[in-house]
Amino acid sequence: MSEMEPVKAGFSAGRAVGFLAGAIFAFAGTPALAQSGADFYKNKTVTYIVATKAGGGYDFYGRLVAEYMQKKLPGSTFIVKNMPGAGHLIGANAIYASKADGLTIGSFNTGLIYSQLIKLPAMRADLTKMSWIGKAASDPRVFVIAKQSPIMTFDDLRKQTKPVNFATAGVGSAAYVETLIIARAMNLPIQLLTGYNGNEDQLAMRRGEIAGTGGSRSSMADFVKNGYGRFVAQIGGKEKDVPQLETFTTDPKAKTLIALVKSQGEVSRLTVGPPGIPADRLAALRAAYKAAMEDKEAQAKVEKLGRPLDPAIGEEVEKMVKEALDQSPETVALLKASIKKKKRK
Amino acid sequence: MIDTMFGSLFGMVSSPQIMGLMLVAVLIGLMVGVTPGIGGRLSIALAIPFVYGMDKVSGAVFLLTMHAVNGTSGQISSIMFGVPGDGDDAATTIDGHPMAKKGEAGRALGASITASGVGGIIGAVVFAIMIPVLEPVILSFSPAEFFLLAILGITFIAFLSGGGNIFKGIVVGLFGMMLATVGLDPVSGVGRYTGEFLFLWDGLSLVTAVLAIFAVPEMIALATRGGSISKVSMATAKYSWRQLLDGALEVPRHWWLVLRTSVIGAVIGMIPGLGGSAAAWMCYGHAVQTSKTPERFGHGAVEGVIAPETASNAKEGGSLLPTLFFGIPGSSGMAVLMGAFLILGIQPGPAMLTDNLPLVWTLIWALVVGNIIAISILFFVVRWAARLTFVNGLILVPFILTLVVIGAYVSEGQWQNLVVLFVLSLIGYGLLKADWPRAPFVIGLVLGKVAEDSLHKALDLWGPGFFLRPLSLVLIGLIAATVAYAVWKEVGTARQRKAEVA
Repeated sequence: MSEMEPVKAGFSAGRAVGFLAGAIFAFAGTPALAQSGADFYKNKTVTYIVATKAGGGYDFYGRLVAEYMQKKLPGSTFIVKNMPGAGHLIGANAIYASKADGLTIGSFNTGLIYSQLIKLPAMRADLTKMSWIGKAASDPRVFVIAKQSPIMTFDDLRKQTKPVNFATAGVGSAAYVETLIIARAMNLPIQLLTGYNGNEDQLAMRRGEIAGTGGSRSSMADFVKNGYGRFVAQIGGKEKDVPQLETFTTDPKAKTLIALVKSQGEVSRLTVGPPGIPADRLAALRAAYKAAMEDKEAQAKVEKLGRPLDPAIGEEVEKMVKEALDQSPETVALLKASIKKKKRK
Repeated sequence: MIDTMFGSLFGMVSSPQIMGLMLVAVLIGLMVGVTPGIGGRLSIALAIPFVYGMDKVSGAVFLLTMHAVNGTSGQISSIMFGVPGDGDDAATTIDGHPMAKKGEAGRALGASITASGVGGIIGAVVFAIMIPVLEPVILSFSPAEFFLLAILGITFIAFLSGGGNIFKGIVVGLFGMMLATVGLDPVSGVGRYTGEFLFLWDGLSLVTAVLAIFAVPEMIALATRGGSISKVSMATAKYSWRQLLDGALEVPRHWWLVLRTSVIGAVIGMIPGLGGSAAAWMCYGHAVQTSKTPERFGHGAVEGVIAPETASNAKEGGSLLPTLFFGIPGSSGMAVLMGAFLILGIQPGPAMLTDNLPLVWTLIWALVVGNIIAISILFFVVRWAARLTFVNGLILVPFILTLVVIGAYVSEGQWQNLVVLFVLSLIGYGLLKADWPRAPFVIGLVLGKVAEDSLHKALDLWGPGFFLRPLSLVLIGLIAATVAYAVWKEVGTARQRKAEVA
């Protein structure tokens, strides 16, 4: 218990210092610290906020994490609360503003990193300050081309003289931002059509209205498996069947942007709490998260759904997020320009 | 083919386990449907943990039945209290609730329950027939057609349900469309009328709007008027089993309408992107438009109950098609259902037809049998439920308003919607008091978003000439004909009035 003393002192000195001290102690990963935190959770109720409606990927991972963290923290009860709206902002802001007692944690879209980079006023959460618990998956990004299009490879796409129609969700959505910044950085002849939410892009590709789309590999996997389209390039991920996008460019600027998108794909299905959760409780939450991700039953559930699983814990995730948020002013300017109002042709 | 078809039916009804699960699923589906604000999507999401242990067939039948009968019970509160559970039920409210006020709650319920059951069954048949032509039909609807379909739906209701006054219908319809623009602009991502409020980014909550425009005004009117919902006493209304049965018989009496609205509902359900509420509203509009006496609508026309109810159950069969065979869900409820299918080891996609045909037939039969079970249960229950319309309103109002407030909150989980509920209720009550139609508001709100979104896409894809596609021209013809008919009718009534005065 001797480790506890300085941490407590640190907290009385102020939130920021406390957080730093907490991070250091959590980094040391002392089991005793986690144990004293685990004792705290006996007979306590933890609220897990999911920033979407019930049903769907975020809800699935949120409920899975909550269920198995409860198992790994004896005596605790986890309840899942759906707080949908405003592209995950409502849920993210709620987690950020919640009391830092370790009894409120949750999950939202990693794409909010872009919102923070461009300093979106509605984004009140500061991702660099939050208590990172873990992430469950990696979801590499892919470029997909519809079956009927003559474009067979990424090189074909680059050589097109006329603009190729690409579908994406609304302006400002993570998919839109990612496709646009990469298309600009690599000078791709892509014309982005917005407003294709959910699976609408897949249907539009089947109708032949649009030639391609950029998205996460897991969301497009079935579409490609059913023979309706093909992957032409991928960012991140361990699969070897699709060429990596970074191999098509030598431009350092483009490589930086690809790296940014890649880091987004690596931190998928995150679990996080508000800034300043006491170090012992955060250590306990991280330990429980780690154990939950190693649970065979939980892994089987993810596999059954054909969803990706590639967990990372605490500090590692925090480091990834901080790196993603450390961008040059040029990149930020490019991001800002990309969400400006589109002109009708 | 025939072997598989009936083999699946036999396999299903001869398994006590599956039939037992179906009964439980129907009961849960009906209970969820009767509570405003909780949709089929949520019920499936919450039921997923229970299907982990089930085998493929049991699990799929359980979830599908639960989802399919969801719309069957929502109409009970729409008809009796004017409290719609969601966007689809709102269409039933327009004529169902006036029927209850006339003491005909039993007849309205009989008709709507039978209509939803029959609609669900016809939807399943459409499902089976459509399998071979699925691709060309679904793929022929592009954003250009979505836009025109939405405009057609709004035109139907705005021009025809104004109660003989086109002007009122159009004004209210445009008001609904205007409120549909609240939220983030689909093209530029800029907030419109959202102010500092994040909860408005996704637009006005449909459930809240529907409850505010229909339910609250009815309750205020009931409380201030005194007496019961039914303006005639139980003795005068001759309320009995017979009334329910009489209502049920309205369905075969209008068989041609039932067939058309079921097929339209199933086809709209099949096209991903139009949204579930569109089916009920388009069919309501279709019933008004094809009626010889459209002025009866809004005042308790039984066709106004039958059309949206057949459509809202028929669309379930329709929306299952792209979900199963394309792996592209037709609605948000179907998206959750598809996720659950994956858990059960069912991989939606074109291979379903070759590898899993018996399962496909079992699901079609589950739709049929589930709907039959739901009708039987509801017939038994509503006999007593309908009596509530004869109870003194002052006892009912507090209970129903509580239900309304809960519904507005739980649908999005945001307290701000209670403020929206209050503000829109004032508008709704104003419309009711001034005898302006309320239906065009909801259809404007439901279809306004589809119209805007698909107009943008169509313009992006094809430029201003997008409506020159053949299917688009047909839809434009229909819109023009509806407007011309409404104007002609209006001029006719005006002349008649003049003649009467003279």
